[in-house]
Amino acid sequence: MKKLPDLLPLTAPVFHILLALADEERHGYGIMQDVARQTNDALQLGPGTLYGCLKRMLAAGLVEESDERELDDERRRYYRMTALGRSTVRAEAARLAGAVSAAKARLGLAGGK
Amino acid sequence: MLGLLCRIYSVMLYAYPREFRLRYGVEMQQFFHDRCRELARAHAGRGAWLRFVLRNLSDWIVSIVRERRALKLVQEWAVTILLFLFVTTSMVQAYVVPTGSMENNILVGDHMLVDKVGFENGGSNWASYVLPHREVKRGDIIAFRYPEDVRQTYVKRVIGLPGDHIRLENKQVIRNGQKLDERYVRHSSPGIDDYRDNFPTAPDLYTLGGGREMFAGHVQDGEVIVPPDTLFVLGDNRDNSLDSRYWGFVPSNYVTGKPLVIYWSYDAPTSDYVEWNFRHVEDVALHFFSKTRWDRTLKTP
Repeated sequence: MKKLPDLLPLTAPVFHILLALADEERHGYGIMQDVARQTNDALQLGPGTLYGCLKRMLAAGLVEESDERELDDERRRYYRMTALGRSTVRAEAARLAGAVSAAKARLGLAGGK
Repeated sequence: MLGLLCRIYSVMLYAYPREFRLRYGVEMQQFFHDRCRELARAHAGRGAWLRFVLRNLSDWIVSIVRERRALKLVQEWAVTILLFLFVTTSMVQAYVVPTGSMENNILVGDHMLVDKVGFENGGSNWASYVLPHREVKRGDIIAFRYPEDVRQTYVKRVIGLPGDHIRLENKQVIRNGQKLDERYVRHSSPGIDDYRDNFPTAPDLYTLGGGREMFAGHVQDGEVIVPPDTLFVLGDNRDNSLDSRYWGFVPSNYVTGKPLVIYWSYDAPTSDYVEWNFRHVEDVALHFFSKTRWDRTLKTP
C-alpha cells in the first residue's frame, strides 16, 4: 500500500470518483452519473477510463469492492471508499484549496472583489 | 441499432488485456448498455448519439493504450490491430449509393454503413455465425451483391421471400393474392409500361440473363413464384428502378447486410459516384458545407 504523498496529486477522474463514493457506495454507472453531476457534465467518464481508474484505485487501496450488499444483479458490482481513500481525497482537496488561494492572491481574483 | 451498438462494444472489449477484460468486461458491457438505454429513453437526437459514439471510441482507444502500456509484447498489440480490422471490415462496411432507385428513402450520394452481421446470410461471413442475427423479412431494405455483376453492391427492398407469389397490377404489388400497402413507394411517371407495371408479362429487350431464367422457370399463372434460398427485391422509386423485374432473384447468400446509418449525404450526380474523378474531389472541397445534406446525417434508412 502506498503512502499518501505518493498518491498526490490525483488525476481529475480519480478525484471525482472518490468524491462520488464519499457518501455512499455505488456501482460503475452510478459513479459516472454522480461525476457528471459534480462537474456539470464537464467530465463524462467512459467505461474504459472508469474501470481503468477503479483498477488502479483498488490496487492502491483507495477503494474496495463492497461485499455486504446483496447482489441484486451480478453484473453490477458496488464500490466503496476505504479510510485511506477518504484521507487521500481530503488531502487532495486541501492541496487544491491551497493552490486556488495562491492563484487568487497572485491574479487578483479574490472572492467578491 | 441499440442492439448492434452493444454487440459491437462487446467485441471491442477483446482489445483490452485479458485479465482486465475478464475482471471488468461484464461490468463495462453493463455500463455501456445502461448508457445506451438512458439515451434511448431520453429520445436523444442524432447529435447526441454521434457524440456518444465518438466519445466512447476515444475512451476505448485511450484506455486500451493505458491498459496495455505495461505490455511491451508486439503480439499483444497485434491482437488490438487485428480486432480493429475485424470490426471495420467484417462487421460494418461503408457504401455510397450511386443511383436513385430507392428515392425518396435513399438518395444519390448517401454514404452509409452497412451492418454485415445482422442477417443470417448463408455463411458468406463467419461473424454472422458467432453473433446474434435474424432472418431477412419482407419489407427489409437490404444491401446485396448484384447478381449480374457481383462487384457491384445494390440496395433494394425485399418484396418476396421463398414461396411467395408476386405480381404487379397497374403498379400495385400483389403478394400471395393480397394488395400491399406500400407507403414507401414513389411513382415518378404517370404512364403505364406493361412490362414494368403489369409484371410479369413476357421478357423484352431490357430483360437480363437472370430475368430470362426467372421467366423461363418461375412464372406460373401470371405470377412469379420465388424459389428457395432467393429473394425478390424491388426499388422504392418503382418506375425508375432496375430490380428483380429485370434481372431476377437475389440468391440469399448474396445479401451482404442491412443499411445501418447514413453518415454523410452529399448532393452530387450519379456519374460522380460511379467513376472516380477529380472534379468530384474539387466539388466536395469547395461545396462541402452547402452540398452536404445535413438533415440526412445519422439517419437510418
